[in-house]
Amino acid sequence: MDFDINTDQQNLIKTIKSFAQKELNNNIIDDDKSSRFPMEKWKKCHKMGLFSLPFPEKYGGLNQSFLTTCLCIQALGFSCKDSGLVHSIVTQIICGIQLNLFGSDLLKDKYLPGICSGETICAQAITEADSGSDALAMKTKAIKNTENYILNGTKMFITNEPIADLTIVFARTNPEAKSFGAISVFILEKDTPGFEKCKAMEKMGLRTLQNGELVLTECEVKASSRIGTEGQGAIIFSESMEWERILLSAANLGKMEHVLDLSITYSKNRKQFDQSICKYQAISNKISKMKVQCELSKLMLYKAAELKDHQKRASMESSMIKYAVSEYLKESCANSLQIHGANGYMTETEIERYFRDSIASTIYSGTSEMHLNIIGKLLGL
Amino acid sequence: MLINIFIKQVPESIDIEMDAKTHTLCRESIAYQTNPFDLFALEEGLLLKEKYGGKTRVLSMGPPQAVKALEESLSMGADDAYLLSDPLFSGADTYATSYTLSSVLKLIGIGDLILVGKQATDGDTGQVGPELAEHLKITHVTNVRSIKEIINGKKVIISKMTEKGTALLEVELPALLTITKTDKEPRTPTLRDIVQSKRKFIDIFDSKRLKIDTMKTGLKGSPTKVIKTFKPEYTSEGRIFPMSDSISLSILLKELQKKQENNVE
Ligand SMILES: Cc1cc2nc3c(=O)[nH]c(=O)nc-3n(C[C@H](O)[C@H](O)[C@H](O)COP(=O)(O)OP(=O)(O)OC[C@H]3O[C@@H](n4cnc5c(N)ncnc54)[C@H](O)[C@@H]3O)c2cc1C
Repeated sequence: MDFDINTDQQNLIKTIKSFAQKELNNNIIDDDKSSRFPMEKWKKCHKMGLFSLPFPEKYGGLNQSFLTTCLCIQALGFSCKDSGLVHSIVTQIICGIQLNLFGSDLLKDKYLPGICSGETICAQAITEADSGSDALAMKTKAIKNTENYILNGTKMFITNEPIADLTIVFARTNPEAKSFGAISVFILEKDTPGFEKCKAMEKMGLRTLQNGELVLTECEVKASSRIGTEGQGAIIFSESMEWERILLSAANLGKMEHVLDLSITYSKNRKQFDQSICKYQAISNKISKMKVQCELSKLMLYKAAELKDHQKRASMESSMIKYAVSEYLKESCANSLQIHGANGYMTETEIERYFRDSIASTIYSGTSEMHLNIIGKLLGL
Repeated sequence: MLINIFIKQVPESIDIEMDAKTHTLCRESIAYQTNPFDLFALEEGLLLKEKYGGKTRVLSMGPPQAVKALEESLSMGADDAYLLSDPLFSGADTYATSYTLSSVLKLIGIGDLILVGKQATDGDTGQVGPELAEHLKITHVTNVRSIKEIINGKKVIISKMTEKGTALLEVELPALLTITKTDKEPRTPTLRDIVQSKRKFIDIFDSKRLKIDTMKTGLKGSPTKVIKTFKPEYTSEGRIFPMSDSISLSILLKELQKKQENNVE
């Protein structure tokens, strides 16, 4: 067991932190108010090489391990104040990982270079109006007509969809089967006839992130655009969710560390009753708890990432880390807001935004309730 | 163009401990960075290479961990890197340092232009650059703010900071320039630059490879003897004038006038 972050990883972390602080942290309050996606910052991230971390060099990737990718995304979550942008970047990388793991050489050659560079924006569409937690109960159909598939259905809440060039769509190819063998996965270009996306939805937090609906009407897709074999959807879903839950947790852990730092600084500087408020245990205990939660999360996160680097399953680990970090983040943001008092409630100090942003973390990529269900099931309960 | 750029790893903070015996820095447990002026020198070098072609080499003398500073320079775009490292080089003053630095260029070639930072934030002497030029018997100019143009690979037009303003100079190559803070921010490497720079090689020279007279290096070769080092005590304190605004303002003005008169005397 080696707990050291090596110098190569440190160099990447240091560069990401200084890049984010210099280039990504302006205008966020305004962007949040107007729910604007900061495309100019996305382009800077693409120049920096952020999207290419875990991919093979032949596609323009940087060939970094998943653990290193997680460390980089943690650094980004820590230093980029726009959690919506960070979430969008993570989604992009996850779509690439999915394609790299299960796509044919043809699809990888065609799409991975654009995903790696960030020139092609990617989304992943699973959720529907009637199937959220019960994702595999989806109704969107893909019916084979000799060579091609015809897709019909509507997807909801899809991250990046309003701005995406490519969407990975999960659809039912076998109406009879329940889950295994029922679902297949396709990659669709935005200008495919019958592919219609709606404008971004207004949200409570992560307001720069663009989430929207996707309507597929008699949308014809070549069989060669299928990712994996027919009916492999449930397997692709459970495997890629492990990567997604770990990487999203890396970003959220970074944010939690940032909130911890803010809480320490503020509680030291703010004086009431002639002393710093950090001298009151009611305040310092909240901060100590945040610190414990950060350190626990790191251990779980790095272990889960290592498992993926060794091509092992991490169902239990990815559910545990997703559950823990999202709940801790929500709690830390609420406590940090309390520590900041009325200042924390004001838009300018940005804590209120972090609090709003954190709420979605226990909903997306599996709700906390569902993760406890998964853990319980894996424990044989 | 062949451009040699010298860089030094220095402590990140000025709040550092000195070794009571050797009067040098306690190097353990300090966070390091590349000397900020050196990064401006490197940026100038990289811009010249982009404009005129050629090669940039970064060189540093220091303990083995100084490779980190060289790696950073490589990721920013330098082509080759050299580390001069030997226990016999440690504790060097500016004379021994510049002698050691000159010896490597005598081996690998002095090129067309040598760039160094105006001074290092730890020693703050500003002497190593000019001394290096003297060892190499070439022209040097200090406090250069901007490198304007290279003419036919033979001359360089520069602007230099003087006490009264700036001076525009034409200097014959090869020459050594010490670079001050310019308006060209040192570049941030991309993640790709960092990953790819790992493939570049850092050539390490010890005293044997340098074929150097070790009586002239390190603490032994340093004519400067540090007798004592101490942390400066900050004695001046802010003063508070606890009166109404207009009264305190007039007292403050008088105090300032008195101070100015004292300074003139
Ligand atoms: C910011 C954001 C980004 C998103 N991005 C994407 C995306 O890119 N692609 C995509 O496909 N989807 C995306 N989603 C959708 C997300 O995956 C779903 O919201 C999530 O799976 C939960 O589904 P639901 O909202 O329909 O809630 P429901 O499933 O309706 O759940 C409602 C409540 O019931 C609880 N519940 C449900 N079933 C059980 C059970 N068996 N046991 C205990 N409790 C239960 C839930 O925990 C929850 O509290 C995103 C959502 C958000 C908020």
